[in-house]
Amino acid sequence: MTTVSASGAYLEVQGLMKWFGSDRAVDDISFSLPKGQFLTLLGPSGCGKTTTLMSIAGLHGIDAGVIRVGGTVYTSKADGIFLPPEKRDIGMVFQSYAIWPHMTVKQNVAYPLEIRKVERREIDARVADVLRLVGLADMSEKLATQLSGGQQQRAALARAIVSRPRLLLFDEPLSNLDLKLREQMRVELKRIQHEVGITSVYVTHDQAEALVMSDEIIVMSKGRIQQKGGPHQIYARPINAYVSNFIGVANLLKGRVVGVTAPGRGDVEIAEGGHRVKLSCQLGEGVAMGEEAVVSVRPENVHAERVNGGGQRLEGEVLQAIFLGNYVDCRVRWGEFEWKVLAHPRDRLREGEKVYLRLDPEHTLAVQQ
Amino acid sequence: MSVQTLPGTAADAPTTSRWRSLITQESVATLIVSVLVGAAVLLPLFTLVVSSFLVLDPGGFDTAWGFDNYKTLFTDRIIPRAFVNTLLISTGSTIVATVLGVSLAWINARTNCPWRDRLEPYNLIPFFLSPFVGAIAWHNLASPKTGLLNAWARHYLGIEGYLINVNNIYGVIWVTGIFFTPLVYLFVVGSLRRMDPSLEDSARTTGAGLVRTTMTVTLPLVAPGILSGAIIVFVTSAGEFGVPFKLSAPYGWETLTTQIFSKAVGDDANHYLGATMSMALGAITAFFIYVQQRYIAPRSFTTVTGKGFRPNVIDLGRWRWVAFGYNVAFILVAVVLPILCLFIVSLHPVWTAEIIPSDMSFRNYEKTLFFWRPDAIQAATNGIFNSLILAFAGASIAMVLSLVVSHMIHRTKGFGSRVLDFLCVVPIGFPGIVLAMGVLVTYIKTPIYATLWILLLGYITRFFPYGQRNIASVMLAISEELDQSSRMAGASWLTTLRRITIPLLKPGIFAGWVLLFIIFLRELSISIILYTSGTETLSVGVYYLTNFENEPLTSALSMAQTVMLLICILIFRRVAGREALTA
Repeated sequence: MTTVSASGAYLEVQGLMKWFGSDRAVDDISFSLPKGQFLTLLGPSGCGKTTTLMSIAGLHGIDAGVIRVGGTVYTSKADGIFLPPEKRDIGMVFQSYAIWPHMTVKQNVAYPLEIRKVERREIDARVADVLRLVGLADMSEKLATQLSGGQQQRAALARAIVSRPRLLLFDEPLSNLDLKLREQMRVELKRIQHEVGITSVYVTHDQAEALVMSDEIIVMSKGRIQQKGGPHQIYARPINAYVSNFIGVANLLKGRVVGVTAPGRGDVEIAEGGHRVKLSCQLGEGVAMGEEAVVSVRPENVHAERVNGGGQRLEGEVLQAIFLGNYVDCRVRWGEFEWKVLAHPRDRLREGEKVYLRLDPEHTLAVQQ
Repeated sequence: MSVQTLPGTAADAPTTSRWRSLITQESVATLIVSVLVGAAVLLPLFTLVVSSFLVLDPGGFDTAWGFDNYKTLFTDRIIPRAFVNTLLISTGSTIVATVLGVSLAWINARTNCPWRDRLEPYNLIPFFLSPFVGAIAWHNLASPKTGLLNAWARHYLGIEGYLINVNNIYGVIWVTGIFFTPLVYLFVVGSLRRMDPSLEDSARTTGAGLVRTTMTVTLPLVAPGILSGAIIVFVTSAGEFGVPFKLSAPYGWETLTTQIFSKAVGDDANHYLGATMSMALGAITAFFIYVQQRYIAPRSFTTVTGKGFRPNVIDLGRWRWVAFGYNVAFILVAVVLPILCLFIVSLHPVWTAEIIPSDMSFRNYEKTLFFWRPDAIQAATNGIFNSLILAFAGASIAMVLSLVVSHMIHRTKGFGSRVLDFLCVVPIGFPGIVLAMGVLVTYIKTPIYATLWILLLGYITRFFPYGQRNIASVMLAISEELDQSSRMAGASWLTTLRRITIPLLKPGIFAGWVLLFIIFLRELSISIILYTSGTETLSVGVYYLTNFENEPLTSALSMAQTVMLLICILIFRRVAGREALTA
């Protein structure tokens, strides 16, 4: 019963459905995750990512599907199985941290071990260990109310991992921290997770967080999975316009595939902004000859040049050039379309200047709408 | 650190079967509590409805089904009159309490009246004391012949006869009005304090003066609070038994409550007619509470934002001393004067409206409190014992129940929680005497009748919603994630309740407990219906003394009750803020 399935999947979610009234919060979601990996569920609020997490935690029932961890069925609607949350052996870090204010840091962290009736001496040793790991060794006697936000965050993490659970769940744990602390905690969280090696599922709406920490990312929208993949893959090869736009910034132009020149490569005719041009593109999954597609180009892959060096060039005018130190954030007018361009400061682009935009076919992607 | 599975966790947990997964600590507890609360609340009301259609034959032995009891409500010599008196008293005391409550709240929340922070706690004292004892005190103060104030008027002002007389319907209106003033006060003062000052400022900038702004902006914004308070006062006055029993019924002004009482006990007892009158009274009060809960209470939040504003404080100039005098006068009339008079009367062997220092002693306290003495009055000493037991046990059981019920209403969503939420409002809609009538007709043939258990049942059923609201207000302020994270840490529902939820709710639980303790210690209208010889309560003891003994003895026991309540108020103030009262 506790064997790991043949595919090497540790966490398995199959056909998960959860309705709130007539609203399908989670609409037929399936995914799996190998042991020790860090998965992020990414999407805007209301996309079903937290509902998915709560379903895994067992904090609410589900309307269809199966959830398995390490071969043990946690929830199965069809078989009427529902393991109560306390039997799931899961560590969880909540958005509000949920550090119990009537206990000290040490008491908070010791709690899961006390529940598991671990010997007092071992509890002390393990609590001290884990507090050292999260950097709260000298805070153990403090009350939760005396901690800063970042420290509460660490305490919550310590409490979640102290029992060495089978699975670690994070519900937007960094969203209440300020930007500086958030950036620091991302790296820290990843380091600690790597060190303890517990399979983790992380929920966030912050794409930067997802890119920094994850082994795998699932981009969700309206209760469905849009794309699953590694951070690099999701960023460089988004499957559709939604993912492309949600992860990072992209220039999106509607068009139609008018020619396939090589496997995975072709021409897309753009009729946007009063222009009609053919762009040479990488064709994404599900994009075929004659079909409508969206061309997606990241701002850093658009090069604004003063001279027309031939090839795939678009002539435009600099609308706006905002100097941001290590780069210049530009808007370039091309008919009615505005290109977002990242330029190098040494190019010294000025507003009102005429430029030629060079698109590298390697990084010009045609994706599904 | 490596991943290893600990004993007692998922790995060796058996696969739960379809049915067993439904039987959890939580679902079992929910079911038990729902059934208990449902039975406790609905059974008496159901029996009351059924009983109201049972007609007693003239011989007083057999019953038949019919509408005769309802006809009697209109044809009886006294009942229609009692009905009108009840409405007059409720209307009158609502007006008195609203005028006093709103003006005092405004003075305390929005003006620079001197020492207003110090005055506030005293404004609230009548809320905790027994209106029945208030009526006794005012009887001593302002009866035509034996009233202290009238005696002074005769002596110092040379007036013939009397100056004021509270032994009538106006006396009832006056005493109920001042005792329920804090209810209106509490409903209004919060809205006044938390109102966004820019709402008033913007009226001032359009050129409206202070008076105009107050009349056109401030008061309309707190109108839902005022209306809520007024409705609660109206309903509570309609269900008030002690005050009309003491001040108006003996002089020919019966009310529905005094009539229900006379049908429940005594020589012409007719429980079925009593049940019918209870139905009539309950229909009125339930209607008003429904309107208040459904339409008015939800609106009162729309005028008030949660942000902590510093409200506009109005400079009254020299008038602030008038406001101060007004507030002090209220405290004198509502608290100081009655208690002082009780104390003075209680020291005399007989009361002749004359203070005789040489006669004064604590004899009356010995006879009412010292149960070991042979001349102790049983009804009084029993009352103290029983009330302490009932208040302690009742408050404890009610708070456990409240805790579980609040948890179910606010932490588990679904049908069950909505049903419980409804069940928690129902008892508030019915006066104690009405619910007690229901409890009486339901359990009179069971072994719990004539024991303290039936009183306990009546107390808890009627008043546990107050405890429930106290806990709920704290619970809503505590994140649900605190509970959830305990479940995720491996703790069961019960362990979570014990180790996380209850410790976090401790202030709310204790405040609710003390509030219920106070309510039970002074309870009269349920006790008077359900007590029998041996199960008297403190207020029933006072009733007994005022009926069968003299005023000084009555005053002594009243004084003892008042002192006990004042001590509880001190404790309550230490553990709970003002917010805990606005249920």
